[in-house]
Amino acid sequence: MANEIHPSATPIVAGPAPKSALTPPRAPNVPADPTPGEETVTVNIDGEDVAVRPGTNVLEAAKLVGKDICHFCYHQGLSIAASCRQCLVQIDKMPKLQPSCQVGVRPGMVVHTNSEAVLKARREMLEFTLKNHPVDCPICDKAGECTLQRHYMDHDHKLTRVDVPKIRKAKHKDIGREIVLDAERCILCSRCIRFCEEIPGTSELTMVSRGEHQSIDVHSGQRLDNAYSLNTVDVCPVGALTSKDFRFAIRAWELSKVDTTCNGCGTGCAVELHTKHEQAYRVVPREDHSVNGHWMCDEGRSTYKSLDAADRVRHATVDGEQVALPDAIAIAAKRLRGKHIAVVFSATATNEANLALAQLADLLGGERFVLGRPPGRGDEILRDRDKNPNSAGALAATGAVSKHEGELALELAGRAYEAVIVLADSGELSEVSLGGLRGITSVCLADRHTPLADACTILLPAASWAEVLGSYTNRQGKLRSVQPAWRAEGDRKHRADLIRDLLLAMGQRDVPTARERTQRLAEAHQHRQLSRLAQDPTPARPTLLRWANSRG
Amino acid sequence: MTIGVKKVSLTRTTRDQIFLPAIFEGLLTTAKHFFKNTLTPGMGDIETIRYGDPDVDVKDYYPDRFRGVHRLMYREDGSVRCVACMCCSTVCPANCIAIEAEDRNDDREKAPLSFVIDELKCVVCGFCVEACPCDAIRMDTKEHMQPTETRAEAVLGKVDLMSRGGPSVAVQGGVSPDYRAEAPKADPRFSHDPR
Repeated sequence: MANEIHPSATPIVAGPAPKSALTPPRAPNVPADPTPGEETVTVNIDGEDVAVRPGTNVLEAAKLVGKDICHFCYHQGLSIAASCRQCLVQIDKMPKLQPSCQVGVRPGMVVHTNSEAVLKARREMLEFTLKNHPVDCPICDKAGECTLQRHYMDHDHKLTRVDVPKIRKAKHKDIGREIVLDAERCILCSRCIRFCEEIPGTSELTMVSRGEHQSIDVHSGQRLDNAYSLNTVDVCPVGALTSKDFRFAIRAWELSKVDTTCNGCGTGCAVELHTKHEQAYRVVPREDHSVNGHWMCDEGRSTYKSLDAADRVRHATVDGEQVALPDAIAIAAKRLRGKHIAVVFSATATNEANLALAQLADLLGGERFVLGRPPGRGDEILRDRDKNPNSAGALAATGAVSKHEGELALELAGRAYEAVIVLADSGELSEVSLGGLRGITSVCLADRHTPLADACTILLPAASWAEVLGSYTNRQGKLRSVQPAWRAEGDRKHRADLIRDLLLAMGQRDVPTARERTQRLAEAHQHRQLSRLAQDPTPARPTLLRWANSRG
Repeated sequence: MTIGVKKVSLTRTTRDQIFLPAIFEGLLTTAKHFFKNTLTPGMGDIETIRYGDPDVDVKDYYPDRFRGVHRLMYREDGSVRCVACMCCSTVCPANCIAIEAEDRNDDREKAPLSFVIDELKCVVCGFCVEACPCDAIRMDTKEHMQPTETRAEAVLGKVDLMSRGGPSVAVQGGVSPDYRAEAPKADPRFSHDPR
């Protein structure tokens, strides 16, 4: 890999990071709105006329008039295979039914999506698809969000007529780092094969055998180990490819989803966080054609593990003793005043928190640093080398950073400061530097118990990224929204609100709350959705996945 | 058609207002039944079944569809039939079933690591039995949940539930082993007979 570097080779350099270019993945079939003055094609779908850009396929045109044509192999972000034959429609003056995903619109086309012949073809194709499907929904992780289940309930809903044994194929075959294959469940739509060819370009998957015995498999000697492999699980319309991490963890219909942003790297992919009872179970990509298209990387999917309930910081601690939050704030405010202080911003915290800390730094003076996770692997698709979601935002909030992270470590070890305030618990400091924190007034706003958080003398309980409404600035300079999946438990509070409490305890007046800061940022960036959320956070409440559409 | 109105006098007579005659009438009825049922050989007209009589099996009087304490069925090899699909815990209106799934690492793939029913929460609706696709959970024990000294004793785990269980050879999706015989046959016009 060209961009691969050793994690410890380069420290985060203070000052504006060079913007790495991000080309959002191309989604070949997403219909764009016709630009004014452009020639459009008018087609008639079930009696309704719709004008679309030339080159749009009939399936997408039908979507525009609210007709969802059922399909398996077609995907907006992939090339067209037209192999499942589930999306057949009747087009006047064409002798046979046509696959609507593959047929482009022509002027004057008259399409019927619900005629007798279409419904019959749809039903019979579905029966054919189900012929060798094992129907082991009780043990299938996809059950509840399965496209085949949904289409069966919508269009077929009949007992099986098959009285011959089903073809047996490979079950629970380990084909990669993250993926388990069940070839029996596969309906041979080839979405996963096309994904591996077109997005990461690694082509590990292929079709083997023919006829009834045809199945997907990895090429001999290969494994499905690319950095984007879990997207094949998302595009799979059935449970043929399932995630090892999510395997048997929970049923899909028990989960609630909230739309948020991945905090794994500087790209800031749009994701859904799936949770139940204040516990996160997985992160899946959400469509956003300005950043991540339909996809996200495997690394980003494991970010939910940092939300584990076991090591959450729930209460404030001063010198190892648990104290009430207002008391801890008062003690921290008293101890921080009038000292030679290091203010440590965080590239993993939200813009709001960093801006609040900037206000505190203006009041207290002192040296400013930005701390974050060490850089990792990047590539030309989505992954950024910078593993912090908000490096750009943190640097913008800091104003002027004169020293880099390495100097902070050295100066802490040499006891150059009388006090330190650390905005977030991420970032790696050596044992010696952590020892330096123990001797002085050190305040850390932590959501998890990490070596850095536990080394500080005053620990304030901060809400994690799954509990706050806020924003990151990604490497393109776009504002990305973070939304709460559950209410912060115990004394945990938005970092910006904790700093606000500190500022109020120091005698400041009219300090904006986290939500006010969010709204100002959203308005400055014209991020309408985030601005609405900041005014009324009700829509940010998670929706139960069983009321959402099936994925894949 | 005219509708006639019947007027009833609701004024109390002196006899009603004293109450005593009515009380004695009631006592007389009670005493009549008491002496009739205790003195007549063959217990008179008592129809109550004596609970706990060793000669009488209460279960014989219960209808077949009576819903008793849950039990978990097992396969021929003694392993639990449940595949931890969570259909029962999803459909349960009282939210009294908690299942944790595990990977069996064999062809059956999924099994419950723990299967816990809180019989105190259970509303005995039987939805779990109907939802079960594997004939794993049944309520046909005809046993009432016995009172327990502590709440914890009324929370039944996999071992308790399987101790009441029996073998079941049902295939998935049906209750009898040869459900295929009952399934509708394919249209003979489309059958591919090699002869």
